[in-house]
Amino acid sequence: MRKSAILLPAAVVLLIAALSSVFIVDERQKALVLQFGQIVRVKEDPGLGFKIPLIQEVVRYDDRILSRDLDPLEVTPSDDRRLVVDAFARYRIVDVEQFRRAVGAGGEAAAERRLDSILRAQTREVLGSVSSNDILSVDRAALMLRIRNGAIAEARALGLQVIDVRLKRTDLPPANLSATYERMKAERDREAADERARGNEAAQRIRALADRTVIELVSEAQRESQIIQGEADARRNGIFADAFGADPEFFEFYRSMTAYQRSLQAGNATMVLSPDNEFFNYLKSDQGRQSE
Amino acid sequence: MAGNNGGPWGGGGNNGSGGGDDDDRKGGGQRPGNDGPGIPEIDELVNKGREQLRVLMGGGGGGGNRSGSGGGGGPQITRGTIGIGVVIALVGWLAASFYTVRPEERSVELFLGEFLDIGESGLNFAPWPLVSREIIATTTERNIDIGTSLSGMDAGLMLTGDENIVDIDFQVVWNITDPQQYLFNLANPPQTIEAVAESAMREIVSQSELAPILNRDRGVIANRLRDLIQLTLDSYDSGVSIIRVNFDKADPPEPVIASFRSVQDAAQERDRVQNVADAYANQVVAEARGQAAQILEQAEGYRARVVNEAEGEASRFTAVLEEYNKAPVVTRKRLYLETMEGVLGGVDIILLDEGESGGQGVVPYLPLNELRRNATGGAN
Repeated sequence: MRKSAILLPAAVVLLIAALSSVFIVDERQKALVLQFGQIVRVKEDPGLGFKIPLIQEVVRYDDRILSRDLDPLEVTPSDDRRLVVDAFARYRIVDVEQFRRAVGAGGEAAAERRLDSILRAQTREVLGSVSSNDILSVDRAALMLRIRNGAIAEARALGLQVIDVRLKRTDLPPANLSATYERMKAERDREAADERARGNEAAQRIRALADRTVIELVSEAQRESQIIQGEADARRNGIFADAFGADPEFFEFYRSMTAYQRSLQAGNATMVLSPDNEFFNYLKSDQGRQSE
Repeated sequence: MAGNNGGPWGGGGNNGSGGGDDDDRKGGGQRPGNDGPGIPEIDELVNKGREQLRVLMGGGGGGGNRSGSGGGGGPQITRGTIGIGVVIALVGWLAASFYTVRPEERSVELFLGEFLDIGESGLNFAPWPLVSREIIATTTERNIDIGTSLSGMDAGLMLTGDENIVDIDFQVVWNITDPQQYLFNLANPPQTIEAVAESAMREIVSQSELAPILNRDRGVIANRLRDLIQLTLDSYDSGVSIIRVNFDKADPPEPVIASFRSVQDAAQERDRVQNVADAYANQVVAEARGQAAQILEQAEGYRARVVNEAEGEASRFTAVLEEYNKAPVVTRKRLYLETMEGVLGGVDIILLDEGESGGQGVVPYLPLNELRRNATGGAN
């Protein structure tokens, strides 16, 4: 029992020493071995590593692609119109030694601040040199590439490799937003008014054509009607001329008789006649007037 | 003894690897700090372990006594207890080392932090604590919604190439094709996918005009978007595959949507006005055709009437003339008298004989007005 009471703490101490002299670097990490703050070793490959306990310490850094979203940034392209831009970057710590030297013990948070200012400067510089139309166009990909290339050069000093810089929002500032909405509204209203006007135009056209057709149809019919009536009158005259021309003198007599009959009707005339009238030839004598 | 120690010291080892896991994110700088306060803890553990050991041995002794094989049986029974302990530890170790991977999952095994293997679905073996593993669902479809604004109100508002604003919501559906790349290459992949998707969408929208986005180019845009996101993610070796992009919404922004609707209304109105006009035209023209037909028929009727009347009158005259020619004097007289008979039979006649009363000296007074009054009175 006494033996084990001594052995056990000894084993424990040994084990602690063994455990604190090894360290595991994950597949996702890179590690620096520091001795009193000085870089002794860089361990980039994952796996087991060794260090002197208590004297050396291990600092791990993420070896994956890290992301950094920039806060929205107002830029002024060369045509003086303001745009709100936010960019994001993908980067990776490639040179841990340089990274450590550049950012110190602040680690990734300090690096992000440095990277932010690099990205902001690059974004401003690149987007400030082109017009806003270029940003809102097919050139956008090329501009993102330019920002990236600029950032790569500057971030190398931090031991960072910038993989990609992309623009997310390229929007108008909120102040301009309502103006844009008004413009869009005005455009739509113009379109709507145009539609209505065209509708009315077409309707009026249709009505006018219809009215014209009506007049044409009716007047054509009236023309035909007059022609027909004229023909009829001509025919009548011809018929009468043929018939009456056979004996004009008798026609005159006959027609007069007919006319008297038609015009002098009961109740509408009073005649003052002399008994000398031919009609009354036999009124006073059966021999007639000839006998006197 | 050593075997018995394995139990608590296994826990110690576990502690160590747990510390390593913690350090993944925070960086190793704190590790010595962790170890510092860790030493008293380990002392405590050692003490506890010793206590437990004593209790175990004492208990074992008691058990042995009960089995009744005498004082010499003490160490034997202790060995048996150790055996049981070893078995328990072994079972525990096996339970910790074997694990199952479901069909939609894959596991990634790390040997002391270094990539070892990818575990397929089924039973897998990763000898703990040297090999650690991570199980991720690979074929499961995952969604990221973009533009559906939960916090910000203008999340989906994008500026188009013709400087209009469009409100777009879409959904990216993705899964994992390469679990190794997925785990080791990207920090926070969902956030990366979201950012890449939003960037790609804005890039496409900024190169297009408003009208095509709203209607006809939606399918094209969805395909281009998918390709662009995939291309970008591939450039990160993300191990992610974009299955599809669901285009939920591409609308004009809220403040102007009324104006867009009014355009549609106007288009409808245009159709309506034209239809009304067409209806009017159809009605009026049909009426006019009817009217024209009526006029023509009336004219034809007039012709028929006039000609018939003329022919009738003419033939009547001809007939009378024929008879007249046979006996002109008599017929003429007869016609005259018959007519006069008819005519004078109907009218008021005043006979004034001038000849008999000498004619001269008498001026006939003819009160025409009175005559007329009489005539109307008579008619009354």
